[in-house]
Amino acid sequence: MAAGLKTIIALSFVLAIGFLLVILSSALFHSYLTLLVVATYVIAPLPNWICARCANPDDFMESAGSAVIDFGRFATGFLVVMGIALPVLLAHCGLIAVPAMAMSIVGGLLIYGTVVSFGMFFQEEQDF
Amino acid sequence: MSSNRLFRFPKPEWINSPNLRTAGVYTAGALFSLGFFFFIDVSTYSRSWKNASDVHIKFVDWIPGICSALGMLVINSIEKTRLSADSYSYSGTGVAWKARLVLFLGFALMAGGLAGSVAVLVLKYVVPEYSFPTLYFGIANVVANGLIMLSSVVLWVSQNMEDDYTYNLAL
Repeated sequence: MAAGLKTIIALSFVLAIGFLLVILSSALFHSYLTLLVVATYVIAPLPNWICARCANPDDFMESAGSAVIDFGRFATGFLVVMGIALPVLLAHCGLIAVPAMAMSIVGGLLIYGTVVSFGMFFQEEQDF
Repeated sequence: MSSNRLFRFPKPEWINSPNLRTAGVYTAGALFSLGFFFFIDVSTYSRSWKNASDVHIKFVDWIPGICSALGMLVINSIEKTRLSADSYSYSGTGVAWKARLVLFLGFALMAGGLAGSVAVLVLKYVVPEYSFPTLYFGIANVVANGLIMLSSVVLWVSQNMEDDYTYNLAL
């Protein structure tokens, strides 16, 4: 298995840095609304996983399954853009400061990248 | 399949790849989210301390967005193979007719949403001659409805792509 111990350590480092950035962006500016970014990115891969369980993509004769998968992908795309749009919205409306916006966007993207690459590295062995 | 095509140029091969189709569905979700948050941004801004004017987002501004989203839901929940179902004998009577009626309703809702947002922009913000931070409420409403429409187009095209792809596999 190529994804070994080093991968886990690197991913956890990146995840910790992402959480650090988001928590700093909320604590330094005394406005805890940026924690919503963490919640968004944590639930972002969930629709894909749930809908992939609900439908079997291999039988292409049955077209009912692909609609469920498409809905999951649609919801995932929605949530990923939401994680970027939410801090921009809060900064534009004066609820958080602009540096807090930048820190929370970078931190959120790091968290989401960790979650996605964790899924990519460790999904393979569950298939068979 | 190539004998009964309509245009002289053949369709490129990469259009039918499932990866492009997946990317299309993700892009549709992203576009919908962008449009949705344009409107949420405007309605949050209208209640925040930055809004100096006494113009606010009311329910009137929400109606076009609701119409567009409903239209998108209606359009994309139709089974697209039923649109040409009259040529087969096993489908019931008038299935294609019903599908086309519902599809027409969906397109009418979506076009009505876009036109309604332009109407709100003109009647509520341009005619009383508001200056720019207030005028942005109306413009963002139009942008939001246009993005929802674009998202629906992308989703429709990528789902039709999938039909061709499965057709190629099944033969």
